[in-house]
Amino acid sequence: MTSASFTESMERARRGVGVGGSGKAPRSRRRGIAPGRARTLTLLVLPSIILVLLLNAYPVIYAGVQSLRNGDLIIAGDFIGLKNYTSVLTDSAFWASARFTLIFTLVGVFGSWAVGLGIAMLLRGKVPLGGFFKVLLLLPWVVPTVVSATAWNWLVATPQSPLPALAKALGFGNVLFLADPLLAQIVVCIFKVWISFPFMMMMMSAALASVDNNVYEAARVDGATGWQMFRHMTLPLTARSTYISWILMTIFCVNDFPTVFLLTHGGPVNATQTLVVKAYQTVFLEFRTGPGVAIAFLMTLVLVVVSVLLFKGVQKAAIE
Amino acid sequence: MSSNSSGSGFTRRGFLSLAGGVAASAVLVACSADGGSGGGSGGGGGNTLKFWNMPWGGTEFNPLDKQITEAWKPSSGSFKATYQEIQWANFTQTFSSAVASNTGPAVSSGGGTQAFLFESQGKIAYADDLFESWKSNGLYDDFLPGLIDAMKVEKGYAAIPYNLDMRVMWMNKTLLEKAGADVPTDWDSYMAAAEKLKSIGVYAFGVGAGAGSFTGSHILTSFMINNGGGLFNADQQPDAVTDRNIEAMEYVLEMVSKGYVDPGTVSYTSDNVQTQWRERLFGMGWDGAGLAANVAGDVAAELEVVSPLAGPHGDKGALYFPNSIMMYTNTPDQKMSEDFLTYYYQNMAPLWKEHTGIGLPPLKSIAETPEFQEDANAVKIINEWQPIASTWGAPGSSSLFLGVTKVDGTPAMDAFTQSIYSGQAKAKDALETLQKALEATA
Repeated sequence: MTSASFTESMERARRGVGVGGSGKAPRSRRRGIAPGRARTLTLLVLPSIILVLLLNAYPVIYAGVQSLRNGDLIIAGDFIGLKNYTSVLTDSAFWASARFTLIFTLVGVFGSWAVGLGIAMLLRGKVPLGGFFKVLLLLPWVVPTVVSATAWNWLVATPQSPLPALAKALGFGNVLFLADPLLAQIVVCIFKVWISFPFMMMMMSAALASVDNNVYEAARVDGATGWQMFRHMTLPLTARSTYISWILMTIFCVNDFPTVFLLTHGGPVNATQTLVVKAYQTVFLEFRTGPGVAIAFLMTLVLVVVSVLLFKGVQKAAIE
Repeated sequence: MSSNSSGSGFTRRGFLSLAGGVAASAVLVACSADGGSGGGSGGGGGNTLKFWNMPWGGTEFNPLDKQITEAWKPSSGSFKATYQEIQWANFTQTFSSAVASNTGPAVSSGGGTQAFLFESQGKIAYADDLFESWKSNGLYDDFLPGLIDAMKVEKGYAAIPYNLDMRVMWMNKTLLEKAGADVPTDWDSYMAAAEKLKSIGVYAFGVGAGAGSFTGSHILTSFMINNGGGLFNADQQPDAVTDRNIEAMEYVLEMVSKGYVDPGTVSYTSDNVQTQWRERLFGMGWDGAGLAANVAGDVAAELEVVSPLAGPHGDKGALYFPNSIMMYTNTPDQKMSEDFLTYYYQNMAPLWKEHTGIGLPPLKSIAETPEFQEDANAVKIINEWQPIASTWGAPGSSSLFLGVTKVDGTPAMDAFTQSIYSGQAKAKDALETLQKALEATA
């Protein structure tokens, strides 16, 4: 091979031109999609877009319109502007429900996260029958809520139920877990944590599994205590998963209907009435569609704001 | 390179046209009023009449009911009836969405106040002509007293009485004997019997007012009616704060304060209530006609219906629910709806004679059958409680109307009920709160 042909070959190789090629550099690929192709693709996805709009956007828009009317489940009613929103926002029962929804959500999110993270950390080490325990611990999440609610009702409802009987044996007297407003609120919140912690456990198990054990080994060599490792290593390293799980659990809690409705129906005397239960009762028991949908829209608005704030946390965690 | 040739002559443009056509067809079908399978014009469409019924009894009820329905042969024409069982879960949504989209039934049963809700929206076909025709075949006179009147609204009869749901007083005779208590006949003797039952650790006012259990609110209303009161005036407007109602609620609050009411009442579901009866912790209480059957076991044999109590002013009264069957304006043929119901009412007796668990019968001829007479408690309820019972409309009205949907299982009524049974409210305050809530949702 002559030096000229060698140089040419290297040049061709550098430019990515094979033997027998034109020797010209390949035309750089244009970014974007050719106009004709774009039209084809648009036509291809159009049916799906129409279906998605019909299935998702139409009901939301229709509900939005309903929230501005004074109709019921069958008749759309007259347009009354924002009157439903003002009547809802000036109703003390709405704010009582909002207050309990906030408590329910805070306890549900952070309680289930704390329990889930704790168990995930315990199961991270070598635990005999670890897989079996993981499956067992998933049961509260897997079992239908109607079954769980029935089981919890059996646990606490009557004075002869196991937990009231235990409380009495311990000298607490007749404890009426679902009849006392405060205790009913506590029971509902604990029930929510019990149902939700397996989800958190799985999320945090996955997050912990992605952390290299050598990091902990190095910290241990440097004399870090267990708390220091948890505070300065585990939490930051799992922050992204934590924020995502908080976002999801916030949505689950705010929208959680069966947990409350099956166990207490929002009682006693509305003590455990969350906003979603109130919205349901307003629409389907009082037949006042407008105010009920207005409550649902206000809930959505708050959820979007909270989710955005938490999502900023995810982005921050990703950068760090 | 050719981009639209596939060799088979099937072009991409052609494919897109086909796909678009299919999608458009699907969308049009989805958006059409009846979706094709709904039976054309709702109510059945064509020569089909849709009958929707609820699971009123045990597992035997709906199969037998379906059999009766499908055996209908119209007096003329070639119509046939189809049968659909509708579950109680979310039944309001089921009916509302079906009626709103014109895919609902021609004839149905449903919630006790359902007919009045749909009547207010112009969806109900009045039963006036049907009742007129029943005057000649004996069906009209066969109804128990007051039942047909309960269905009357301003423009006509909104529904036809179907089965009765009564709220009555029950006792465990064995426990009463053990406590040395007499069977009560009025409010004073009830209080005295309650005191004796308490001495053996048994509650005298057994009822549930927890998740999904509306019996507690029914019984409070029963006490108001028993005292000559009630929730609505003659103008069918809420009128809860009356002297008679206050007196009745003070009586219940006295029962609560003296420990005759189970403190768990505000959280008890119907299952919890039955458990308390089974555990012999309830010596007397308030429930539907099916309590003994639901409690079952040895205790069931000890349970007996008590005769209606006399109030402090000598009144007798109780709340009852005349559940109904209604006809809808959206029917393939109104005459066929009426023809079907005439057949159904003439042939529905087996639902009671075969003890399928449906509530009490609306017809005297069924109540007089030997099969029904076997149940002494049911007979007592028909003979003693039904004649003195009133609807939600009491004391102002003997009929039902749209306004009663504001008290039947609503959050306002729940909150009122729980505030009384928990003993945390004063009678007048609780009634005033209820009145305000009812006015706010009116």
